[in-house]
Amino acid sequence: MANQAHATSADQVTVNPLSGALGAEISGVDLSQPLDNKTFSDIYQAFLDHLVIFFRDQVITPDQQKNFALRFGKLHIHPLTEGLDEHPEIVEIVKEPEEVHNWGDRWHIDLTSLESPPMGSILYAKEVPDFCGDTQWANMYLAYETLSDGMKRLIDGLVCVQAGGADGYKNYKGMQFIDAPPMQAEHPLVRTHPDTGKKSLFLSRKAIKHFKDMTPEESAPLLDYLYQHLTNPDFACRFHWRNNSIAMWDNRCTQHRVQADYFHEQRDIEPVYRRMHRVTIEGDRPV
Amino acid sequence: MAKVKSATTRTRIDVRPISGALGAVITGIDLSKPLSEEEFAEIHQAFLDHLVIFFRDQDLGPEEMIAIGSRFGELHIHDYTKTMDGYPEVIEVIKLPEEKHNWGDDWHIDSPSFDSPPLGSVIHAKDVPLYSGDTQWSNMYLAYEALSEGMKRMLSGLECVFKGTHKGFMGYGGMPHKEGPDRTAAHPVVRTHPVTGKKSLFVDVKPGRNFKDMTVEESAPLLDYLYQHIANPDFACRFHWENGSVGIWDNRCTLHRVQRDYFHELRDVPESLRYMTRVQMMGDEPY
Repeated sequence: MANQAHATSADQVTVNPLSGALGAEISGVDLSQPLDNKTFSDIYQAFLDHLVIFFRDQVITPDQQKNFALRFGKLHIHPLTEGLDEHPEIVEIVKEPEEVHNWGDRWHIDLTSLESPPMGSILYAKEVPDFCGDTQWANMYLAYETLSDGMKRLIDGLVCVQAGGADGYKNYKGMQFIDAPPMQAEHPLVRTHPDTGKKSLFLSRKAIKHFKDMTPEESAPLLDYLYQHLTNPDFACRFHWRNNSIAMWDNRCTQHRVQADYFHEQRDIEPVYRRMHRVTIEGDRPV
Repeated sequence: MAKVKSATTRTRIDVRPISGALGAVITGIDLSKPLSEEEFAEIHQAFLDHLVIFFRDQDLGPEEMIAIGSRFGELHIHDYTKTMDGYPEVIEVIKLPEEKHNWGDDWHIDSPSFDSPPLGSVIHAKDVPLYSGDTQWSNMYLAYEALSEGMKRMLSGLECVFKGTHKGFMGYGGMPHKEGPDRTAAHPVVRTHPVTGKKSLFVDVKPGRNFKDMTVEESAPLLDYLYQHIANPDFACRFHWENGSVGIWDNRCTLHRVQRDYFHELRDVPESLRYMTRVQMMGDEPY
């Protein structure tokens, strides 16, 4: 079991948890430099233990961001979004000042409609608001473990039919989307993490149409209950971005959502721009 | 309307919002010293604009807590919980190390079963965990304003019945409860803030409540909808406590909840004491 009891320290790497549920900030690392194996293995262990890790004040180029990501696995190309011209693996996530919603402002797992959804992403804040647009992550191991034994038995073996496409991606002014054909995949509702061997709830509500061999109507009560359960705020941490902050999350055992708290009119908040660079790492087929 | 964008331009104190929804950290003030009229006027304006305000690194005993609270209003004495020896206005909010729940875990208004519920509270963190037990607040002006015109019309004139019993205050190892008479009060679901004149939703998350002159069953559909609506994370901010942190919130237009993220066994998080002191200010009858 992960030991959060003490901040782990290698030579310079320190890991400070952000909440009781998940998340830790790592300091003592400069991601513009190549990482030696010991440093990388400390970072990787922190990633497995804390599910989402954060770095502050990193000044890195697109190549350096990709090089860091390559330590975790092969780079993923987003099927529905244009990457940067020179770097197709980098998605530029932009919220224009007048927009009051984000790409990803409801709880979700990234791209569960792919046969092999991403393992995780590295998100780099280039230009972010002073106090809006925080991101929350939630621990899906905890969401599974806090179910009763009876419920765990009941949902064991259920398979979710997932579907997604470009439709949900079109309302973002600052981003270029690709009109790709719809995607469909089937994944276990409870998946086992390939590295930790732990079980987690793998339920991204909007992408799931129904349980395999059941109707949407029959599937809805349980899906809705489990969605309500996993959105319990106690399973979540909240990260406040600054320019040059980095988050890297494990897409196999977490969900995330961005605060849509751009209350320009209601609270007389100045419209703010938000721009980030995301690199995503390929994952395995969930089991 | 709250002037959020101009909030940092005040001359005496520095006010920095922590989210787009509500909350601001104030620096440049030592709360252990008597506040001048000008200082208090600026703090009070920030309290009205941001609904919950925070201060760091404050060294406050019970007498200083009473002095600060008294600037906002007459102090309220809690009747269902034992108060601090020699200081009946002060409550010691204690979570023992082995406890996994807090006093105030779900979204709630403080003591709504009084005919005149408290105006607000001042809380001071004396000995708090490194990373568990954050508190969230939620902006109930925004929750009201986000409703449709039809829903706003339907809710106008409705009253919600709040019941209080000392039994709800049992089960906290560090906080002996006191027996007291049961209370019931009905308050408008949409109340008008006596100072800002703005309307806010005045309901909290407690199953079994009802609207005045309606049954629990008849009230459930709308109350359930409103509970789900007020729990939208976009209306909330989250504050991480350190020893010496102070929070002052407006109980007339906010809800709050404490993170129950003491996952001692599930995540090997160390058991930790959480000790705070609180004073509460008397409020008006809602209208």
